[in-house]
Amino acid sequence: MRNSGGIVRFVLDNKIQEVDFEKLQLSPTTTVLTYLRQLDGHKGVKEGCSEGDCGACTVVVAGLNNRGTLEYKSIDSCLVFLPMIHGKQLITIENLAVATPSQMQLHPVQTAMINHHGSQCGYCTPGIVMSLFALYKNHTDPSRETVTDAFTGNLCRCTGYRSIIDAALDVCQHPAGDHFSAQEEHVLALLGEISSDETSLDLQSRGQRYLKPFTLEEALLLRSQHPDALIIGGSTDTALLQTKKNITLSKILDLSAVDALKFIVEDHRKVSFGAGTTLQELLEYANDRLPYLRDMAAVFGSLQIRNVATIGGNVGTASPIGDLLPVLLVLQAQVRLMKKDFQRDMPLRDFITGYRKTALAADELISMVWFEKPGKSELIKTYKISKRKDLDISSVSAALRLTFSKEGKISRACIAFGGVAAIPKRATQTEGFLVGKSWDRATAMEAAAMLPAEYTPISDARADAAARSIMVKNLMIKFWTETAGKEQIFNASDYAK
Amino acid sequence: MLQIMQNNQPTPQPHHSALQHVTGQSVFVNDMGFGGQLLFGRVVFSQQAHANIRSICTQQARAAEGVVAVLTAADIPGLNQMGPVVPDEPCLATDQVSFFGQAVALIAARTEAAARKAASLVNIEYEPLPAITDLGRAIAENSFLTGPRQIATGDVGKAFENAEHVLNGTLHTGAQEHWYLETQSCMCVPEEAGQMMVYSSTQHPAETQAIVAQVLAMPANAVTVEVKRMGGAFGGKETQANHIAAWTALLAHATQHPVKTHLFRDDDQMMTGKRHRFRSEYRAAYNANGCLLALDVALHSDGGAALDLSVAILERAMFHIDNAYYIPNLRVTGQVWKTNLPPNTAFRGFGGPQGIAVVETVIDRIARTLHKDAAEIRKLNFYKNGQSTHYGQQLNEVRLEKLFGRLTDFSHYPALRRETEVFNKENEFIKKGLALTPVKFGISFTTSFLNQAGALVHIYRDGSVQVNHGGTEMGQGLHTKMLEVACRSLGLPPERVIVTATNTSKVPNTSATAASSGSDLNGMAVKNAIDKLISRLAPIAQSLMKISTDDALVFADGKVAPKGHPDKGIAFDELVTQAYLHQVSLSATGYYRTPGLFFDNTAGKGTPFYYFAYGMAVSQVQLDTLTGDHRILKTYIVHDVGDSINTAIDLGQIEGGFVQGVGWCTTEEIKWDDKGFLTTHSPDTYKIPGVRNIPEVFEVEIARDMPNPGTIQNSKAVGEPPLMLALSVWLALKDAISAVGNHQQEPPFDLPATNDSMLKWVEEMRKLQ
Ligand SMILES: Cc1cc2nc3c(=O)[nH]c(=O)nc-3n(C[C@H](O)[C@H](O)[C@H](O)COP(=O)(O)OP(=O)(O)OC[C@H]3O[C@@H](n4cnc5c(N)ncnc54)[C@H](O)[C@@H]3O)c2cc1C
Ligand code: FES
Repeated sequence: MRNSGGIVRFVLDNKIQEVDFEKLQLSPTTTVLTYLRQLDGHKGVKEGCSEGDCGACTVVVAGLNNRGTLEYKSIDSCLVFLPMIHGKQLITIENLAVATPSQMQLHPVQTAMINHHGSQCGYCTPGIVMSLFALYKNHTDPSRETVTDAFTGNLCRCTGYRSIIDAALDVCQHPAGDHFSAQEEHVLALLGEISSDETSLDLQSRGQRYLKPFTLEEALLLRSQHPDALIIGGSTDTALLQTKKNITLSKILDLSAVDALKFIVEDHRKVSFGAGTTLQELLEYANDRLPYLRDMAAVFGSLQIRNVATIGGNVGTASPIGDLLPVLLVLQAQVRLMKKDFQRDMPLRDFITGYRKTALAADELISMVWFEKPGKSELIKTYKISKRKDLDISSVSAALRLTFSKEGKISRACIAFGGVAAIPKRATQTEGFLVGKSWDRATAMEAAAMLPAEYTPISDARADAAARSIMVKNLMIKFWTETAGKEQIFNASDYAK
Repeated sequence: MLQIMQNNQPTPQPHHSALQHVTGQSVFVNDMGFGGQLLFGRVVFSQQAHANIRSICTQQARAAEGVVAVLTAADIPGLNQMGPVVPDEPCLATDQVSFFGQAVALIAARTEAAARKAASLVNIEYEPLPAITDLGRAIAENSFLTGPRQIATGDVGKAFENAEHVLNGTLHTGAQEHWYLETQSCMCVPEEAGQMMVYSSTQHPAETQAIVAQVLAMPANAVTVEVKRMGGAFGGKETQANHIAAWTALLAHATQHPVKTHLFRDDDQMMTGKRHRFRSEYRAAYNANGCLLALDVALHSDGGAALDLSVAILERAMFHIDNAYYIPNLRVTGQVWKTNLPPNTAFRGFGGPQGIAVVETVIDRIARTLHKDAAEIRKLNFYKNGQSTHYGQQLNEVRLEKLFGRLTDFSHYPALRRETEVFNKENEFIKKGLALTPVKFGISFTTSFLNQAGALVHIYRDGSVQVNHGGTEMGQGLHTKMLEVACRSLGLPPERVIVTATNTSKVPNTSATAASSGSDLNGMAVKNAIDKLISRLAPIAQSLMKISTDDALVFADGKVAPKGHPDKGIAFDELVTQAYLHQVSLSATGYYRTPGLFFDNTAGKGTPFYYFAYGMAVSQVQLDTLTGDHRILKTYIVHDVGDSINTAIDLGQIEGGFVQGVGWCTTEEIKWDDKGFLTTHSPDTYKIPGVRNIPEVFEVEIARDMPNPGTIQNSKAVGEPPLMLALSVWLALKDAISAVGNHQQEPPFDLPATNDSMLKWVEEMRKLQ
């Protein structure tokens, strides 16, 4: 099937759906949520906040993975533009149960939710059930930590969650095949039909334009032709401009289908992440390899957010509260910027030029981020302090790294904090102070005392300035307690052990 | 329609909408359609906390694409008023606004996007006036909504004179946003002859009906309100769902189109009232054993810009200032202050949490100064049977000691205390804390006449039954319990009975579904209706079975049989057919009013509560004193619900209420800037508990063998009381902070204990070392 370049195709209700934005006079940045809610048969999906914080709009998207099978991912449909699911299967709450003429055959996850009394008012329930469905498809006998991770993006104000956790632990213990497994061949065939064509989509409607390339070459070409287009990776930052600030996104360049930007490569010297790598892919990779990235990724947004948010997007925001930025700063990461026929590497430190400002040229895009691996004897830790541990934006984030001389003295210190200045920023004076010292309590305390003066925190809805200064100071002490002291509790990764 | 497969029906009965919930078939107001006719409503609200309105220009908005109507106060056909208790809330502002978020104009448009666009085109010119957004300033400037009230017992003055020990302090408790998942919603459909059909997400259909009638200048009989279900309410839709209904009805009336309004999350958070923040000044006298001798408290409540339910909420705070403790000399005064914030409103607990937090703080401080375990001091001060509260209600069925015994066993409290102490000795920066707190919660509306309810039960000719009652379903499981009450009374399986949407044309003049009283009141009303039906069916049955009218009957298993002879019964359906043929009415209304309640406001004495619900919790927390992060390691709860009608539903209320309380005590912090703008206006910055904020070990036990005679199936109300058990988490956090100073100093502490506040308190503790 050729796609004329102006039509988005995906599988819904076991059929290929075609959306011709121009013909329907539909905005190309229509979210999946808005699209579903104006259909007759898909009102189960709910809007709760329009910002990916409540999960009432959770749906599951299935796409082909590199093993040639379907991979099921929960997403917040309020933040995902319809063209982003081109070539995928969209699964909603209405698709889980199978109706026979006389009865309704529930999906096992639905039965478990009923048996464990996991719903009260029912408004969060469709989203919860979809998160549970994705969990069911991806895990057998998951730990409590994995189960709760699947629901950090779903708020429920009624139940107190215990019943939902129990339903999940119960039903995922022995996940059986379901009608989705039975239909997999069929769906794969449909998806194959849609994605046989790699011509970029060019959607124009209601004064907006939406460009969606599938190859890096096309992406670079479109970038040079449309320097005014707003790049999106996962759109978790950008979509808010539309859903919360009511801004019309006039031109979008959507990189989410450019497979060439999705890779993780590690050799003995360095690690490189393609800009299109999602935070969830980063988390899974970093898990037992790169603890300093894992600890940050583990408390990044929610599973729904991590399933789409990209590393390129986090770097691209240059936000003072971008959680990957402090750790990438202390890793002295390089950002690879590409344009048609040219590429350059730039230290992240130089790439961030101001409050949410970067050195990205109008015809460039970020293709990857890479860094040299820290030595085995180096100490490196990352921290995030937020009002709520999960699915919250940092009040303060930090990465601290110490390198030692043969004599056991600190030979280099790299410290970066987020949330306490207009940009994520290194603490150069404290770094200087630490060089040549031994890593003991007195040094840590002295360094902690001088750190806050290097930053200019403000008071806002998340925390006040005084508390942020205390956090900055304390994180230095915490770093010491966890690397040299005795107390090793409270890492993100040992939650609920 | 869907049908659940009944083969392995779990016990207890699941929520009556569980199947619809998990399949996405549950219909909420915003899921209702009306074809191409439907218009979308939007509210234009004040961007100033306090200002004169110089002009409102709607020209541009009117001219915008898709706009059908733009209304201002001048377009209201009836009374521009929606105050639920006193008329102090205009439906749309006229010449002045008194809070950021106050409705000024309304828009109806053909699409949601057009309505949203048009709202930004309404131009309001303000002349700013000084605004009070701080409770302290309201008190300092004597800006109040009500004069002070007082309830007192004993001789407080003398008790303080003679006291061995006295302590005093000030406690601030924070506001809380309801954060129902479904924001305020309403759809209104104009019907023939000028009538109005209102599909609302309201806890109080009768009042919604009255307010809609009032703004439209219609009699109440021309307005019908129907509530299928709410996506959560928690008190936030007790009065403030009236507003959106009134606005939507105005638009529907003006356009003669069906109109639906569903608030955008941020707008909902900015426009609606919250749990009242309180400043409470207290003084307590006690003896060397820790026995409370006197308590003197001044409660200052932030009412916001209008009265709403603030008086009743303050009153409940005053009634609960004693919580579970007998205090022979007690004086509590209270006043509602006026600020330029959205009128604060009902929220699960209804003032109870604010009052209870004060006395729990007092007990905690007594224990700290005496270097005793606070649980011991609590037990020492528990009410005993026969003692009376400060408002003169005698307590006869006090269950505190029983619960205490069971809970300390069940939680291994002494071992937990030892473990906590050892851990704290061994760890410098991570501290554990432990607390046990009780709740005694008065059940009934404190405005006595509200304690009434109605029902309407129909039996159809095929023997199927429809139950209508005045209560609304917001997730709490009321309809499930009513279904069970009906099934049990009629001896029918759940498939034969349907509980319908709440509708003012079926049951009129109802009270709000609130004060935890939904099952108590409506259950009795449903039972009353069914009793009437049974008394009409009985003679027919007796004559069919040829037994005497004196012989007792049993309705069970879909049959009616003489007592002791289940084999001799006839099918219920058959009986119904015969009754119909014998010209017997198969429809009955039911009514109930709680007996014996009164309260004399001037004397501050009476019997405002039908009974009390009791509960108790132990929580252990772990605090990282360097980051302010905490974990709730363990929570054990024993709760008294009488004879539970449905243990799964009651368990859900206990757990859910507790976790909501944990939010109020920890992560939920509301901030307004000095211009009255809510800076925490979305879940991005307003953090309710997530799945990982619940206790890691969370064990809840429903107390056994504690029937509550005189209520429906001997049960007790359960909606609100468990929320207050979250104070165990709050005081456990205080215990952890106190451990930083090795329990030598009283730590600074307020509510909520957010991570950044805790860091500051820990810092102060360290400085004291
Ligand atoms: C509910 C929620 C929770 C969140 N939680 C967190 C959190 O815990 N921590 C955190 O740091 N952030 C968080 N965020 C913010 C956001 O998810 C992250 O910043 C994310 O990494 C953005 O990635 P994206 O691909 O979705 O970005 P997009 O929105 O697609 O892009 C963000 C910016 O980067 C630019 N950009 C994207 N890709 C490229 C590229 N390849 N080349 C050049 N420019 C590019 C875009 O033009 C845009 O300016 C959260 C957001 C939401 C909605
Ligand atoms: S069941 Fe009501 S919000 Fe989850």
